[in-house]
Amino acid sequence: MNETTARVIVVEDEPQIRRFVCDALRREGCASIEAATARQGLDELARGKADLVILDLGLPDMNGIEFIRDMRSWSAVPILILSARSAERDKIAALDTGADDYLCKPFGVGELLARLRALLRRHWQAGEASPLHRFGDVEVDLSRRIVSRGGVEIHLTQIEYRLLAVMLANSGKVLTHRYLIREVWGPGHSEQGHYLRIYVGRLRQKLEMDPTQPQHLLTETGVGYRFQS
Amino acid sequence: MKTGLPSRWRRAPYLVAAALCTLTTLGTLPLRGLLDLANIVMIFLLTVFVAAVWLGRGPSVMAAFLGVALFDFFFVPPHLSFDVADGQYLVTFAVMLAVGLISSHLAALLSERTAEAQSREQETRVLYQLARDLGGALTADQVADITRHFLGAVELDVTLLVAEASGKGVAFHEFHEYGSHRLNDLEYGFARSAYERGTIVETDPLAGMGVAIVFLPLVVPTRVLGVLALVPRSDDVDRVRALRPLLEAVASLLAITLERLHYADAAQDSELQVSAERLRTSILSSLSHDLRTPLTSLVGLADTLVHRQPALDEGAIETAAIIRDQAHAMHHLMSNLLEMARLQAGSITLNKEWQPFEEIVGSSTRLLAGLLASRKLDIQVPRDLPLVDFDAVLLERVLCNLLENAAKYSPPGARIEVLARTRGEALEIAVGNDGRGFPVDRIDQVFDLFARGEREPAVAGTGLGLAICKAIVEAHGGTIVAENRPGGACVRFTLPLGTPPAMDEEGTS
Repeated sequence: MNETTARVIVVEDEPQIRRFVCDALRREGCASIEAATARQGLDELARGKADLVILDLGLPDMNGIEFIRDMRSWSAVPILILSARSAERDKIAALDTGADDYLCKPFGVGELLARLRALLRRHWQAGEASPLHRFGDVEVDLSRRIVSRGGVEIHLTQIEYRLLAVMLANSGKVLTHRYLIREVWGPGHSEQGHYLRIYVGRLRQKLEMDPTQPQHLLTETGVGYRFQS
Repeated sequence: MKTGLPSRWRRAPYLVAAALCTLTTLGTLPLRGLLDLANIVMIFLLTVFVAAVWLGRGPSVMAAFLGVALFDFFFVPPHLSFDVADGQYLVTFAVMLAVGLISSHLAALLSERTAEAQSREQETRVLYQLARDLGGALTADQVADITRHFLGAVELDVTLLVAEASGKGVAFHEFHEYGSHRLNDLEYGFARSAYERGTIVETDPLAGMGVAIVFLPLVVPTRVLGVLALVPRSDDVDRVRALRPLLEAVASLLAITLERLHYADAAQDSELQVSAERLRTSILSSLSHDLRTPLTSLVGLADTLVHRQPALDEGAIETAAIIRDQAHAMHHLMSNLLEMARLQAGSITLNKEWQPFEEIVGSSTRLLAGLLASRKLDIQVPRDLPLVDFDAVLLERVLCNLLENAAKYSPPGARIEVLARTRGEALEIAVGNDGRGFPVDRIDQVFDLFARGEREPAVAGTGLGLAICKAIVEAHGGTIVAENRPGGACVRFTLPLGTPPAMDEEGTS
């Protein structure tokens, strides 16, 4: 990262995993701080400025969800979760508690760095959001509420527009079904999961080149959706 | 057959009644001049009444007739003769006889009822005791012991036959036999007939002593649990018949007790099963964690070597990449094995949601982007497909496995198609490829666990993929078939459609 040296805290009890993650971080130009326990991780976080936390959900001394809740009460630093592929419920709980993204074990260095860069970019750009978004051949101007594709204006219903706006505002981040339903339809609609899926499908049909193989409005199966520009 | 003793005992009350009447006559005879004849009639009636209360119906009826005769003979003029001078006395006789008979009837009825109530109370107390003893029984052996002890008191030997827990249609060799008396084939036949028909079977006591003659089925509302066979120790068959209400009560108590034992066993079994299930789940999840951790290190560390700056020499990079890919493959295999173990354990809970099928098409092809890059993907999913209720994570797995197979068993550049359509009450998804297809002689076995399409496969794999697909699709209530079509193979599976939840459309704005 060019702007400053990012400081990343790696909270992982397995030394071999910690080792290659930290190695990858150093090569990326980040300063890595290792923590083998949750306690140690929280201490490091409290001690100094950090830009990102990489957190293994299966820590020996503390439930990962508790760690996130604890941390989120006083810190907005992005959290990247490392978890098992089949543990959707854990991932959803972590994301709903305040984690920003997850990576399934086992993962390659390339995947790790891609997630890392996206999260750091979002972190550093927070507060300077632009009303203009471009992805594929679609242009969205949030200030004028205009969506166009290939220069032709596209009509979106209110809900479609609201859904798109929420996803754009959280570009790159995994958004759980629950979060999206709450943001778009308001609280108390959690029973209407199929609404969300239908509206995402409609957005894809209006904005994606091939709705069956979306490139921007991505499904995180069993968890939620992610917008990727 | 009848011995002298009981008949003499049976005759005794009549003699007593006659004696009573004689005494009454002798006692009242001196008073003949002092008392009105009406009062003498009263004394005779009292005698009849006393006889009825003490001696029962027969003797008191006899006393009534005898009383009338004695009264006529000794008290009605002319004395010491059955002649009646005054016709009015005929009315007196008739009334005296009627009152005597009625009161004897009533008194006898009363004492019969009392006796009956006493014997019923006795029976109830005995049954209560039996019920209490049976309540403490923990095994069928104990039940049989208690029953044997209980019925031994009424001179009956018992054999208890308990059907195997499997329930209906039990052949008789599957009975557990408890008791001292071993049934012979004939007796077994009767027992079986009582069991199958659920009714009491009683045989003629032709065979003599020491043979089971009554077979009581042990019936609970839903089924027959077994048979209680009774062997009288003496040849007094009538007594066994008289005991029948008691025996039926015993049989129903036994049935309830056996049913209780059965459910206690079943409860214990299911408790065991639950804890075995819990153990298996925790073994699976800790296995999954313990295997995944070193694999994650392996993949990550090998990948670190591949991306190392300054770069390693080409051979080393290649080696590191192979290690990484093999570790990935091993993880894939491990995930499949664990998934199959979970599916087979039946402990899988579907996390079903109503959603468009399209969702998992996109996510599956993205997951397999690397593998599918060299194939031509042809995806035909109509836009207007109805929502389907399914577990997205598991169905994604099905689709990934099918796409992976389609890619593995086809040459680079081949076409792979995914086709979705509604067909009757189901959504049908077909995944096909251009390739050699399934070997014709093995096409029926491709969904079997560890079955491989080819005898000496050139393509790496475990034969788990399709077995997992089948387990997942069937858990959703769907079906899956493999077939060859011109130029390639195709796997089709269905998902039941059902009725999606309603949705309010927003007004356009």
